[in-house]
Amino acid sequence: MSTRTKLSSLMLIGAVLATQGASPLIGATKSVPAPQWSVQVAEVDPGDVNLEPAFRIAIYENLLEELTKTKHFKEVFRSGDRKAGGAADVLILKVTVKSYTPGSETKRAVTTVAGATKLKVLSQLTTRDGKDVLERTVDGNVRFIGSNLRATHNLAHNVAKGIKDAQLPAGSD
Amino acid sequence: MILKIRTFTPLRLIVTSLMTLGALSLSAEEKTAAPGDKLHVTHILGFEGVSKNANGDLFIDGDALRFQKSDNSGGQVAIRSIQDILVSTQDKQVGGTALMLGRAATPYGGGRVIALFTHKKYDVVSLKYQDADGGVHGALFQLPKGQAETLKSRLEARGLHATR
Repeated sequence: MSTRTKLSSLMLIGAVLATQGASPLIGATKSVPAPQWSVQVAEVDPGDVNLEPAFRIAIYENLLEELTKTKHFKEVFRSGDRKAGGAADVLILKVTVKSYTPGSETKRAVTTVAGATKLKVLSQLTTRDGKDVLERTVDGNVRFIGSNLRATHNLAHNVAKGIKDAQLPAGSD
Repeated sequence: MILKIRTFTPLRLIVTSLMTLGALSLSAEEKTAAPGDKLHVTHILGFEGVSKNANGDLFIDGDALRFQKSDNSGGQVAIRSIQDILVSTQDKQVGGTALMLGRAATPYGGGRVIALFTHKKYDVVSLKYQDADGGVHGALFQLPKGQAETLKSRLEARGLHATR
């Protein structure tokens, strides 16, 4: 057997062993626990802040979308949804606006540094009987590129991320 | 006779084409409402079955408020399920990504000057409605300035409550 053939055989054996060694890792599925909780998103409470109606609705709709994307909950219910009443282990997400700075897309385009849209909210995740599970103050801003309503998307994304990263208590089942 | 041929540098060519694209999209956005009862709107978010930033016509069709795209797809809600109509105004930069890139590529800060003139005011109509299960939905539509009042009055004529 020539040296070249020996080398090729060794490389082939090495490759087969490497594949076999790696296969359990490739084949293994990351064990993601099935979500225990469902969540119902309450309508956004503007608090004492004079928040534009479009922002209120955009925060609410973006929250529903972002929470669904996290796949952290069995179901994401809308405010007033009768189906939530019959479901077990439902958390309520309440969002109260703490501060809002209206921005200007034109100011941002002209000056780069001025005209940011800023939103700050208190997000509270509670059980049906009012027990606090999670409470966080979250920001959502648009500083450079994007329309003013983009702040609501950023805010909802941050709220959903905060909930996803948090350790939720065990459900009843 | 000497013919002077003006040479286009690659940068100038890029800026010119981006500005042309921006101007074209600007003229596309300037489209006013379709004749009749249909209002040409942009769906921002929330209307079930319609993608974000879709352009189409919003009109009352029998007992429903219908949004229809040019390919006849879209969505509708029963007027009786609408709980509130809210109208606000928004100032936006026009021309989309093309004009934004054009502004960024314009030398000597010229893009900032362009930005001063490429903004426009729009009406934003926020609709709050309920689905069959009682779930609250919100939908936002962007209309040319002044047309939100038309939609509001048409819906108010159907007995709906509107908040300013």
